[in-house]
Amino acid sequence: MVLLGPSGSGKTTLLRCLAGIERISAGSISLGDAVVATRNRHLPPEDRDLAMVFQDYALWPHMIVRDNVAFALRRRGIGRSARRAEASVVLGRVGLSALEDRYPSQLSGGEQQRVALARALAGRTGLILFDEPLSNLDANLRERLRIEISSLVRDAGATAIYITHDQAEAFALADRVGVLEQGRLVQLGRPEDIYASPATPFVARFTGLAGEFAARTRSAAAEDGTVEVEVDGLPMARPLRARAARSGAGPHEGLLTIRPTAIDLCRHDANEHHLVGTVADVAFRDRGYEHAIDIPGHPRLTGVLSDIRVGRGDRVGVRFNPTGCLVFPT
Amino acid sequence: MSHPVRIVGRLVMPAFWLALVLLILAPCAAFLALAVSPRLFDQGGQWFTLSYLRGAFTGTTFVAMTNSIWVSCVAAVFGTVVGGSIAWAVARTTLPGRRLVTGSMWLALLLPSWLPSIGWVQLFQADGVMYRMGFDYPGITNLILGPFGVVLVLGLRCVPFAYLAITAALAGLGQEFDDAARVHGASRLSALRVVVPIIQPAIWAALAIGFAESVSDYGVAATLAYSANFPLATFELFGQINNFPANFPAASALGWLLVATIALPLALQARALRGRSYAVLSGRTRQAVRRPLSLGGGTLAVGGILLFYILALGVPALGAVSQSLLADFGASFHLSFANYSQVFHSSTLTGPLIRSMKYGAITASVTVVGGFIIARLLTKVRTKAVRMLDFLMLAAIALPSVLFAAGYIFAYNLPFLSSIGINLYQTTTLLIFAYIASSLPLNSRVLVGAVSQLQPSLTDAARAHGAGPITAWLRGVFPLMSKPLLVAWLLTFTGVFLELPISQLLYAPSQPPLSVAIEDNLSNYHFGVGLAQSVVAVAIALVVVGSVLGVYRLLAPRGWRRLGEATNR
Repeated sequence: MVLLGPSGSGKTTLLRCLAGIERISAGSISLGDAVVATRNRHLPPEDRDLAMVFQDYALWPHMIVRDNVAFALRRRGIGRSARRAEASVVLGRVGLSALEDRYPSQLSGGEQQRVALARALAGRTGLILFDEPLSNLDANLRERLRIEISSLVRDAGATAIYITHDQAEAFALADRVGVLEQGRLVQLGRPEDIYASPATPFVARFTGLAGEFAARTRSAAAEDGTVEVEVDGLPMARPLRARAARSGAGPHEGLLTIRPTAIDLCRHDANEHHLVGTVADVAFRDRGYEHAIDIPGHPRLTGVLSDIRVGRGDRVGVRFNPTGCLVFPT
Repeated sequence: MSHPVRIVGRLVMPAFWLALVLLILAPCAAFLALAVSPRLFDQGGQWFTLSYLRGAFTGTTFVAMTNSIWVSCVAAVFGTVVGGSIAWAVARTTLPGRRLVTGSMWLALLLPSWLPSIGWVQLFQADGVMYRMGFDYPGITNLILGPFGVVLVLGLRCVPFAYLAITAALAGLGQEFDDAARVHGASRLSALRVVVPIIQPAIWAALAIGFAESVSDYGVAATLAYSANFPLATFELFGQINNFPANFPAASALGWLLVATIALPLALQARALRGRSYAVLSGRTRQAVRRPLSLGGGTLAVGGILLFYILALGVPALGAVSQSLLADFGASFHLSFANYSQVFHSSTLTGPLIRSMKYGAITASVTVVGGFIIARLLTKVRTKAVRMLDFLMLAAIALPSVLFAAGYIFAYNLPFLSSIGINLYQTTTLLIFAYIASSLPLNSRVLVGAVSQLQPSLTDAARAHGAGPITAWLRGVFPLMSKPLLVAWLLTFTGVFLELPISQLLYAPSQPPLSVAIEDNLSNYHFGVGLAQSVVAVAIALVVVGSVLGVYRLLAPRGWRRLGEATNR
């Protein structure tokens, strides 16, 4: 389970409550069938049978790597030499056998995070909590560690609750994603479902939009679930259709949200477009060229991917695919 | 956690606050109350009056107070600049002989202020050691036995406090901060200006300690300043207690002025730390890299540090040791070990020595625990109660020990305590309570620098991985704090070992501590024997400090000792 939300949405607070590091003032928390926290009851962290990977790694600077990992084995009541031996095994699984006698300050950021991961796995707890563990790492390392975390946690058969503000990271990791906004869970579901059918404009924005427009629907939903949409102050060359967030509604004012994947670029004189814009910026990405398109009198469209590079300042036709366009009633 | 343990856990903090009230607040409050309500403790006819407070702003009292304030300001800044510079040179450069510096700094610290002060007086007074050696320079005599000499000796005394406080903070200041500044175009000096603010808590603590120590110092006031006819507040205050008849309300009024002067560094320190996080010590901290010194730079650094030691230790040691080898009176410079022979054959030294060592060990052990709790509250919790605690601690540092002791005399001599069977006055128990109370504030200030650098996630991680709160602290935090705690322990031990004012006023009859035994000789003009006793006592204290630090170095796990070490690149 990945909890996704911007800074201040309550992700870390929620995770710390789950861990027992913070107390709750209302409601309850259950792990399985066991109630571990209510307003009047608080099971301390050490009794909750869980492990945690911290954003700042939280490795003890005075202990070598092997002892940092072995610490998590103390709760299993095995002897010191057995703990150290098992810690070495776990460190082998994360590829750090050669570094087990070093101190944390002698490791790189990625290595320190793998030690923290090894510590969490060593305890063989039923639940592992991850507090934005990759946020301090570079993109390449982040991707490699994400795959390691995913495979190691699945191999261990543990339940993981992972918090992040990175939508791409969340969707790549999660079986289920929960989106938090100002302390409330606003949507819970599979990554595909959240991306395809965001419950609110906030969820749509946070999971990636190319742009949004104030709009008006001109009809009730058709059989395919789409409606004809009119954007205020922006005449379209051809009728624009979008999916309705609320089915069964008649014509209404709304907010049209557009996914980057819903936009195709074409020649502005080919008469295949909905509207014409001007390229404000183009950047090479490994998957193609990412364009930012200026629309007169309206917010810029961003993240528009194309195999073909359109130059800055050039006019370009923009075509919208109804599958990636969603209109929310306002 | 089991139910009884939770109950005990919930009682710890209230018991701690109660102990602080009884040890510090009640005696201080009792004495300070005298200034406005002398009749409360049968020291006058008025239930309420401001006449004593008004009187404190007039005459010699006001002159003494003004002298104390400006002298303490200069001494604190001097001590912080010099101590901080030495700490930086030792921690961040390839300074030759740097391993000797910390040990030597202890010697400067454990000396009670009256000892180097007496050394300077004995050396430079009109018929002193220099005169007996044939060097008669009235100009230098007038300079040393004047305000300059007072500022110099007090300032030199502030250096070790600043050195220890800033060294503890530098131990947690990783190399990455300096690297970040240099990478973004900062010169070495500019990088220093960027990095130094990170150790602001330690710098402000050093200034606050230096100022408070100087304001409340009695040793220099009673010796060098007295000889120089340069009145300071603490000696003026002692005079009001020691004269016949004693004027405790006037002394209390002067105590109010002293407490009020601490508001300034407290306000400055609070302002400096407001709304900022100085938590930098964690597993991601990288060891600092030592900067290699050029020949010129190394010579300058070594020369500067040597000059400090010559002035702080060498000159007073020359005065004290040479006087201890001379007869008490006469113009000749004939040296002999007669005084030392008398000391080692006298049973009056052995008993007080062992007694003071016991008092020091007990006080240090209790104070370190209390000091850590206070340091943690001051750095992590900013409630109104903790702000009051902050002021109380600084006020207690500023309150001269002689006032503290007088407060204990009043508070624990109250008739109602006897009526409920509490008779602590003139007992060793009360003496140790007073030692603890007077040591706790300084001890907590020394620990603030190191405690402010602890990352909370270190204990959170231990708890999340199955450790209870005590185990989490013992395994996750205590190793990081072991060296600062040991330093604080030794600081308290040496302070109590040679402590004078509290010992003098509160010792149990027939059980004089070491300093009282020494003072008896000095006040009876047995300078030679008294200074010989002092030299032997200092030597013994050094052996204790060296032994404890040596044992730590031998027995502490390598991981504990490597924290704060710098590397040579």
